[in-house]
Amino acid sequence: MRGRLVESRLDHGQALEDDGAILASDARDDALVTACERELARLRPALPSAARVRLVAEASSEGISSAMTVRVGGLSIVTTLEHVADDVRLLTSCTTGVTPVPRRPLPLLWRNGSAAVLLHEAQGHALEHGHAPLSLPEWLRVDIPLRMRRATFRDVPLLRMTHVRAEQRHAPFALPDECIEVHLVEGGTYEPLTETVTIRIAAATLRGEALAPFVMVAPRQALRFLGAQGEPLRYPGVICSREGQELIVESHAPLLLTELA
Amino acid sequence: MIYRKRGAVVRWENGTIVRVVESGLAVEEGERFECRPEGAAPGQLDPDSVLSAVEAIRERVRPLLIERLIVTHGRSEHECEDRVWTEETERFHLSIVRGTNRAIVDSTTARMDDLAPIARALAQAGEERDPPRHLRLAPCVTAALLPSLVNAPPADARLVQTAGGLDGYGHPVGESTGAPWPNWYRPSYRSRPVRMPLNLRLESHQTELDPDLPLALALLGPVHGSSARVLIAGAGSVYPATIQVSRVAAVGGLGVWYPYGGGSFGAEMMF
Repeated sequence: MRGRLVESRLDHGQALEDDGAILASDARDDALVTACERELARLRPALPSAARVRLVAEASSEGISSAMTVRVGGLSIVTTLEHVADDVRLLTSCTTGVTPVPRRPLPLLWRNGSAAVLLHEAQGHALEHGHAPLSLPEWLRVDIPLRMRRATFRDVPLLRMTHVRAEQRHAPFALPDECIEVHLVEGGTYEPLTETVTIRIAAATLRGEALAPFVMVAPRQALRFLGAQGEPLRYPGVICSREGQELIVESHAPLLLTELA
Repeated sequence: MIYRKRGAVVRWENGTIVRVVESGLAVEEGERFECRPEGAAPGQLDPDSVLSAVEAIRERVRPLLIERLIVTHGRSEHECEDRVWTEETERFHLSIVRGTNRAIVDSTTARMDDLAPIARALAQAGEERDPPRHLRLAPCVTAALLPSLVNAPPADARLVQTAGGLDGYGHPVGESTGAPWPNWYRPSYRSRPVRMPLNLRLESHQTELDPDLPLALALLGPVHGSSARVLIAGAGSVYPATIQVSRVAAVGGLGVWYPYGGGSFGAEMMF
């Protein structure tokens, strides 16, 4: 926190699956622990100083991964060594306002790849629950592969997203006179019983003025995709939590314009 | 300050038995917290009690759809400075579904008698309505609300930490009525202990309840502050409604312990 180490956790273990049961223990594999330490050493020099930062390195039989969560004020991102400088610049350029979001319905312009969070909830979680895919316009392609994943050796593997990648081809892009520009998202949920999507928007602007954080709640079938522009942008911050298991889901989406029917 | 924990848990999670053994060490020095496994784990627990509880729960909620059922039995040994203590827990988390309604129950396997009434009521639930002005809350609903009321207790009642047991440092949990709370909650050796009330109960000068009032007998979603969506039964109908607890009229007698927050004693309550 602001350059001081305040918490350090080491966790290791092994899970053996046997006939519908999982036997788990905190057995240590020195090679995997060493791989994590090496990964953390690689990340440390890139730590932003004036922030609350959490580094996580994981090594398993499936490979090595790492992530850096950076929080400044009420906003946060999840980034990697390769992207930390750009992502922290984005984070510090965003502000949380006090102006409440207007009550009248306005289109949303999802910047910085944040549309991937919307698609994560409305399409990805729906697919995890076996629900029908969204009816998407032909100019929008969304790739969300699923596979069995688990957060720790104590957890039961679940069918989860590996990444969300949205791409547009020859999409229309006519900006309305007025729209809310979404810059950073704090999180989201999908309610499988009602197929309702909730997105907690942390940083947004309307005509350049910062809005107070707000929540978008809508049945996923009410989402209308009006247009898109550009290449998919990596959204810095999707830690997906389901059944208490937190997993990173790489997320990319172009600039996307939506409204609610 | 050094804290050690060795433990074994057997968990039934939506059809999979998970048996975990682990041990670990947590060190606190000023603002710094570190933890790591220690490699001195105890033996595995037998899954029999968990499997029996799963069957008992299924029996009570049949024929409703079980969306999520997690039953755990855990046994742990703790050591902090010169204090040594043990703990045994048997708990479950259940969500049952009918239509777009989901009833959620977190409880101990010793307390399953509220499941069948909840399941029966959920099966009869009608359309959403406004809540009645006066209402009783079942113990499981009261218990779920208490941890969220700590910073804004309802009028005409007081929240009390109930004496008994030990906290995350092995210190006795004493009777207390407000911040600064004297005890610490530590659900895992990997968690930094948090100062908060344990084993909460709600007290009111009035203890007489009106048995003819409608009863909120189950949670239909997570608690938000003093607000919750609940399942209400009364006057021949069952319906979901969102309640806001601001003023308590009476709290019944002895509460039943539920695993909400740092522990919560739910008693029937009227508001």
